[in-house]
Amino acid sequence: MLKLTNVTKKFGELTAVNSLSFTVSKGQVFGIAGPNGAGKSTLYNLISGLYPFEGAISFNGKEIAGLSPHQIAKLGISRTFQIPQIFPSLSVEKSIGVGNHFGSREGFEQDYVDKVLEFVNLHDKRHAMVGQLNLLDKKMIMIGAALATKPEVLMLDEPMAGSNAKEIIQLMELIQRINRDLGVTIIIIEHFMKVLTELTEKLLIIETGTEICCGDPVEVTGDPRVIECYLGDGT
Amino acid sequence: MFIEIIDVIISGLINGSVYALMAVGLTLIYGVSKAFNFAYGSFYSMGGYIAFLLFGISFFNNYLIVFCLAAPVLLIFGFFIEKLLVAPLRKRDDWEVKVMMITLGLALFLDNSYQVVFGARMKSLPSILEGSFEMGEFILSYQDVVIFIFSLGGILIFRWFLNNTRTGMSVRAVAQNPAGAQIVGIPKEFVFAATFAISTVMVGMGGILLAQKYFITPAGGWDILVKAWVITAFGGMGSIKGGLYAAFIVGMLEAFVGWYFGMTWTLIALFAVLLTTLAVRPQGLMGKWG
Repeated sequence: MLKLTNVTKKFGELTAVNSLSFTVSKGQVFGIAGPNGAGKSTLYNLISGLYPFEGAISFNGKEIAGLSPHQIAKLGISRTFQIPQIFPSLSVEKSIGVGNHFGSREGFEQDYVDKVLEFVNLHDKRHAMVGQLNLLDKKMIMIGAALATKPEVLMLDEPMAGSNAKEIIQLMELIQRINRDLGVTIIIIEHFMKVLTELTEKLLIIETGTEICCGDPVEVTGDPRVIECYLGDGT
Repeated sequence: MFIEIIDVIISGLINGSVYALMAVGLTLIYGVSKAFNFAYGSFYSMGGYIAFLLFGISFFNNYLIVFCLAAPVLLIFGFFIEKLLVAPLRKRDDWEVKVMMITLGLALFLDNSYQVVFGARMKSLPSILEGSFEMGEFILSYQDVVIFIFSLGGILIFRWFLNNTRTGMSVRAVAQNPAGAQIVGIPKEFVFAATFAISTVMVGMGGILLAQKYFITPAGGWDILVKAWVITAFGGMGSIKGGLYAAFIVGMLEAFVGWYFGMTWTLIALFAVLLTTLAVRPQGLMGKWG
């Protein structure tokens, strides 16, 4: 479904992403982890068309290099950001409706916006101004706006950041429902290993833009190279 | 004295309404794309000159026809200027400074072109409606009433457009969060060009409305550019609501200062407002810090 081949991104002398290759299959929950500055968010920026890159990224067999972010959203790849990118002066309903208006290939459908509002549990706050809501609601709005584009792939960038234990459980349940009930393929960047081992079917660990290992989450998290990458080699 | 004050208030309201129409356009560009358009005043003159040309053709000798023909010309002009001159600069470092420089160059080019084509002499347009309403000593020209109604109508249409159309929704989304807007499928570059085009129409329409009262000259747009920027900064950079309030305050201030101290003091008063705003409340009436 989504295939990256030797993807590299350099900012001057700094190589942020170094010849990464991996494939995400349809319906999969795919995890990406690594220390701060590993190039995880940069990788999302490359897939979503915010930066040019070397190498190839194909989605359903179509090469997406050179496409602009809105064209990639229209193809069916949507994403969220670590810090909620919201529209503070729009209502919750309009913020989610924007995604459906512009990102969905089927055009605007009020019924679908209503369904997304129910799905992210914001139907009671549909008329509230986004800027006045709490962090969890803002995250839900951002996920809702992404879902409103009717994506095939949803890339979540550290959705648990800044959340308490109860909110983490809520978000994990939501991610599972998005994958199971809506059939959306999920790619998730996360620091909480417990979240990654419970949610994902395949986990990629990167450090300084380079792949450390990729595979079954339980095996990957026990890999000595991964432990060293997070904790150092003890010297 | 009482009649004079009423006259000054009406004059302030009429000027304020036209300033609002023009300043909202400038606020819109800044709010959406963070670009400083130095050619804005020259687009004001362009509106006047397009109307002047159309009035020279007997078939188009009607304000309704002039507005209907000038609006699409200004829209297309604004759209292509953004695409050809401004958009390529956005990909470069320090693009904001480069946009300032290129729009300054465009302003000088346009103003000199007006001088070559139309000459340096002032041009005038016929009054949109002759006659006046008189009640004792109080006189109100129908022209002023029509200018006021057209300006408010323009602002209301703009407000309706922002709140009720698909493009309006995309403009609001990009203004509030460009990154968030493009990842939900909004073509950011199109929105930048569309807002530039819409603002060109708004200031051009203002140029047609005010040309009846203040004439058209090749460099006449600079005064408007300065006023529009004072209003934009006073209202709060990027805040449309703040721009509207500021436009009426500036219109009223100008009318009272002009009446009490003389017209030469109006620009000084405007700069005093700008300096005080920057010193006391740099974010303007309705703007935000940062």
